[in-house]
This record gives sequence, C-alpha cells and structure tokens, in this order.
Amino acid sequence: MENTPSNIPRRDFLQRATAGVGAGLVLGVPNILRAADAAPSKKINVALVGHGKQGQVLFDAMKNIPGLHFQAVCDIWDYNRGAGVGHVYAVEKQKPKAYADIDEMLATEKGLDAAVIATPDFWHSPHTVKCLEAGLHVYCEKMMSNTIEGARAMVVAAEKSGKLCQIGHQRRSNPRYRFTLDQLINGSKICGQIINVNGQWNRAVKSSQDIAYKPSLTIKPEVLAKYGFKDMHQFMNWRFYRDLSGGAISDLGAHQIDIFNWFLGAVPKSLYATGANSYFKNREHFDNVMALFDYETPQGLVRAFYQVLTTTSAGGGYYESFMGTEGTIKISENSSATEIFKETSPAPKDPTVPVDPNAKIPPLSWDGLVQRGLLRKQAAAPKPKTEGVVDSRVSAPPEGFALPGELNKPPHQPHLENFFAAIRGEAKLNCDARHAFLSEAPIYYVNPSALSKQPIVFTPEQLSV
Amino acid sequence: MKHTTTITTLLAASTALFLINCKGGGSSTSGGGTSGGTPGGDPLAVEFPPELIEGTPKPMNVPNLVQVPEKAPTFLVPKGTALLSKGKKVTSSDDNPIIGTLDLITDGDKQAGEGYFVELLDGTQWVQIDLEKSAAVHAVCLWHFHSQRRAYHDVIVQISDDPEFKTGVTTVYNNDYDDSSKLGKGSDNPYVESRFGLIADGKGTKGRYVRLYSMGNTSNEMNHYIEVEVYGIAQ
Repeated sequence: MENTPSNIPRRDFLQRATAGVGAGLVLGVPNILRAADAAPSKKINVALVGHGKQGQVLFDAMKNIPGLHFQAVCDIWDYNRGAGVGHVYAVEKQKPKAYADIDEMLATEKGLDAAVIATPDFWHSPHTVKCLEAGLHVYCEKMMSNTIEGARAMVVAAEKSGKLCQIGHQRRSNPRYRFTLDQLINGSKICGQIINVNGQWNRAVKSSQDIAYKPSLTIKPEVLAKYGFKDMHQFMNWRFYRDLSGGAISDLGAHQIDIFNWFLGAVPKSLYATGANSYFKNREHFDNVMALFDYETPQGLVRAFYQVLTTTSAGGGYYESFMGTEGTIKISENSSATEIFKETSPAPKDPTVPVDPNAKIPPLSWDGLVQRGLLRKQAAAPKPKTEGVVDSRVSAPPEGFALPGELNKPPHQPHLENFFAAIRGEAKLNCDARHAFLSEAPIYYVNPSALSKQPIVFTPEQLSV
Repeated sequence: MKHTTTITTLLAASTALFLINCKGGGSSTSGGGTSGGTPGGDPLAVEFPPELIEGTPKPMNVPNLVQVPEKAPTFLVPKGTALLSKGKKVTSSDDNPIIGTLDLITDGDKQAGEGYFVELLDGTQWVQIDLEKSAAVHAVCLWHFHSQRRAYHDVIVQISDDPEFKTGVTTVYNNDYDDSSKLGKGSDNPYVESRFGLIADGKGTKGRYVRLYSMGNTSNEMNHYIEVEVYGIAQ
C-alpha cells in the first residue's frame, strides 16, 4: 500500500484515537467508560460468530476497544467469512482462523475467552448455549431468540455455566440514555408523573426491500439446508420468516420496548396488538404492527403505545417518548431526533409527596439544570396565532430543551466495552441474560396477540424463566 | 469521524460523558448527480442501476451536503464520446481488498447488494483505472455504495498520463473541503450516494490513467466502490 499523506497506519491511528478519547474523559464518567479507556489488564481472545451486516457493525465498534484479540471468525457463508478475515487482518495484521461451523470452531480453538454472536435470531439461543457450555463469555445480539423458550434456555445456560451473557440492547450502555434515566427522569424528575409512553420505528418502504446478492455467491443447497435455510433468499432475508425470527416487532421494536421497561422499572401487565401485511403481502411477518401496553408502576398507571412500520419513514424515524405531567423526554439513539419539552402549565407539586432521601442528586428545576449544563435550552417556539383558533382550550406550545451533548463513539461500543470490562471484573453487565429476558418476554406475545386479535393479560409464568 | 470538532463539557454530578459537536464548515459548488457537461453536446447514455436501499439511514454530519436528485441527471458530452473503462485493469493503494476484488470496479455491474462492491482499508485510499492509451476524458461516473444513504469523504478524481501521478496531474473533481487528505482543498460539495452516483466533468482532460480517492464515509471508516465508468474519446 502506498504511503499516502494521510495514510496513518491503522494501529497508530487507533492508539491515537483511543488516547484522544481517554484525554476527553471528565469527572463523573461511569465505570464502563473509564474501564474501557484504561490500559487493559488482560488480553481477551474473541470469536466472531456471524459476520454479516450486524456482525460487521459490532466489529466496527469493537476494533476501537483496546486489549482484544480476534482469534476466530465463524460464518456459514464464505463471503462473510472472507470479510471477517479481512476486517481482522486490517486491524491486527494477522489472520484469524476461519470456520463455517461453530461446533468445529469450539472443538478446535483453544484459549478463547468470549464469543460475540450476530447470527440470525433462530440461531442465537443454540449458539449462545453452545458457547456458554464451552466456557466462553457471550455477547449475543438481541432478540435473544425467535422463541421465548429459546430465550429461557439462554438464561438457564448462563446461570448454570457461571459465565457472563450480555444481550445486545446497546442503549442500556449509551451514556445519553443512562444520563436521561439517572439524572433527568429519576434524579430531577423533570417529567413529573409519567403517564404515557410512545415509541416507534418507522422505516421507508424503499428501505425495507429484500436484500440482494450476487447470484455467483449463492451458498450450496446442502449447506443452507444443514443450517436451517430452505434457500438463499431465506438466508439473506431471514427476518421475514416466522420460523427464523420475530419480524419487525422483534428486529426493531425490541430496542424501544426494552427502553419502555427499563425506564419505567416495570414490565407490562397486559398487551393488545394488531398488525397486517398491508404492503409486503408475500412476507410471513407483518409489515406494520401496533401494540398497546399497560403498566402498573410505583408512580401510577402508565399506558404505552408502540408502532413499527416498514412502509413509511414519516413521523420522525425511531424514538421513545416519555410523557409526564411536567415534561416530555423524546429520546432516540439518533441524537438529532431527541427532544425535551417542558409543560408551560405544569401540574402543581403535590405537597403530600415526600422528597426522596435516597435521590442521587437533589431535584433541580429546569433552570437549575440549564445553569449546570445538564440541559440546553432551545430557541423559543413561535407563539400561537390568535386568529383561527379552533378551541380556546388548546395548550400553549411547550418550551424546548435538548441533551447537552452527543455520544462520541459508535452506538454499540459502550455496550461492548461494558461486556469486556465485566469479563475483566471491572464492571457489572448492563444487560445480562436474565434482565434482558424480563424485558424481552412481553415482546414474544405481540405477534400472538396480533394474530389472534385478542388482548393478553400476562400471568407471572408467562414472563418468567 | 471526519469534520467534527469535539469539545468536552463538564457535567457536574453527572454519570455520563458527552461531547458537544461543532460541525465544520465548507465551501461548495456542485455535487452528486450533477447536470452539465459540454454545451451543445449529446446526453451521456449512462445506465443507472435500480434503487435498493437497506435499513435505517445513519445521520450524515457533513456540511453543504448535496441530497439525492429526484431524477436522473442529464450530462452532455461531445459527439463520439464512448465508455473507455469497461474491463480495464484497476490498481489500488490497498492491493488486498477486505471484501471483493478490484475487477468489480470495471465489470459493468452497478447493482447494490452483497457481492457487487469492493471494500478497501480506512484512511485515504485510491483506485486507479488504466485506459491503456491516452484519451480526452469527458465524464467520470462513480458509484461508491448505494444500498444505504451515506456520503463519502474526500472524493477526488484526477487524470494523468503518469501512472505514479507525480507529474501532469489534473484534478477534475474534489470535495475535500478541509484538505484532510492533504491533496489540496476542493470546492465541490460532498454528496449523498444513490443509484445515480456522481458524474464528474472530465472537461476533456487528456490522460491514460484515472485515479479516484476517498477517505471513509459517514457510516463507517472504510472505502467502497461498486463501479467506475470513464467516458471519453481515445487519442
């Protein structure tokens, strides 16, 4: 390779980039970040299990984390395997061992510490259980499985093995989300009483097309059959098939419904969902799903609405919105979609509610939060016109605020950092298998509710391991 | 990622790290899917691939970003202009691509999807097409990667008769507005990738070799090419 002017050797670049991040640390940084940016005490040998699109997203996030050695790559498609070998070689200047079969990899490779699993959903549980039983710590993409039984098996295997099992709900390690929950919702309680939650993932129809591939790269039929695919289209588009995945509510909705449950500190008591194949009529899974959840939380009843649409992007993409008597926080992994609103006529404080003596910080007013740099005030919204008002009871537009900064890493990196820090004993997992199961469990009932057109009132057994 | 100045901010009593981003600025002229070319010429007959977008787009924090045109651009070239690059040899600063092979760049297949693109290392990388003899280049059509909306950084197109690109180099397109690739500051605008790609005006520049640079993109650090087509009149 020619040494072009800006062609900094990758290792040098990564070391400089890491040093830059470390130098930017400030007071109060959570352990997950501090641990990840410190010099690693032990090299962790990692197996990459599944190196398709999501596997590559995870690798892009992992290659910035010091102290990892990517020892093996496993994927049934030689095209993905080759990409995995190339990606590792680009970082480490040495090739990992490549395997088509996970059993062969686990039987052959010595010294592996962890597996990062990004295979199709119906393989998550078998692959996770195999790796845990082989003595590896596991980071597995969400959904845990395409079935609740598969997810249960992962919890059991993790707890039986004593190994760590982190599930890829990466927002749980995102500093923007942790700050919002810890400081704004629980700390300063700027939303007041949260009564409603609204979330969505709206994706344009043109972004929801079948994934294409070059015909010359087709996997042999016997290999596809061995690994549970009837043909190459199903291998490339497994998210459309009921036996292989949970569909859009699982692929996309699981991220946000997990945030509902995490932020509310509760799981829903009941569910009603509806869905249809309104556009992609030949797909097994619904192309649009809407779900209503009812919660009983310590602060009262909460009703949550979620929609996942693969037929339109209108309405702001993807976010979770927590709506309270004093304010609303609409948060998204996409920082440009994050908005915070203060009610212009907030509910009066209930004098009978005692101040929480265990609050991490004393509750701050909106102005106090702005003064301390914990919120940014947005430009004032235009005043409503007096002409043409159709109802004198229309509320004045709320004041707008924003979070004070952005995550300076790939979105999955903090969650992976947390996983590897936990392996080193320097952190606790932010989303272990049991907690992930508790949050994911209601999601497995969305498609059944929509198919049966019946509400589901959850029993404890339905939502437990 | 490029073009982002980060300033740390102290969050007292906070448990989180944030960086406040101040986006850089840049000058601009033209960008992706541009219309133009040789006045009075014939429309360039480019075959555009079908649109196939996958997944949710990632934010593109790039200033003066030219959005995807609503219809195919019209670009005029002198009579007699022909496709010169199909099947021609491609070399690269990364001689061991991570995904795919360099011959994909001139194989005539511009489709999105797996197997149609070559992925090169991060940093500033180039690919170079040998037209086998000098030509007056009137258009360079370029598709980096169009199954996801993204913008590539520091897209630079140069033409020369010197295979080393040390002498007689003419830059016909450059959107490296902050000179981060150290090849000179450009005045063209960054653009969003699409099935329409980019048509860079070759302006009749004479040369046997066409070299194209980039430095990662708004979705990841890597460099990609699906296809490059060089149109001109052989000398």
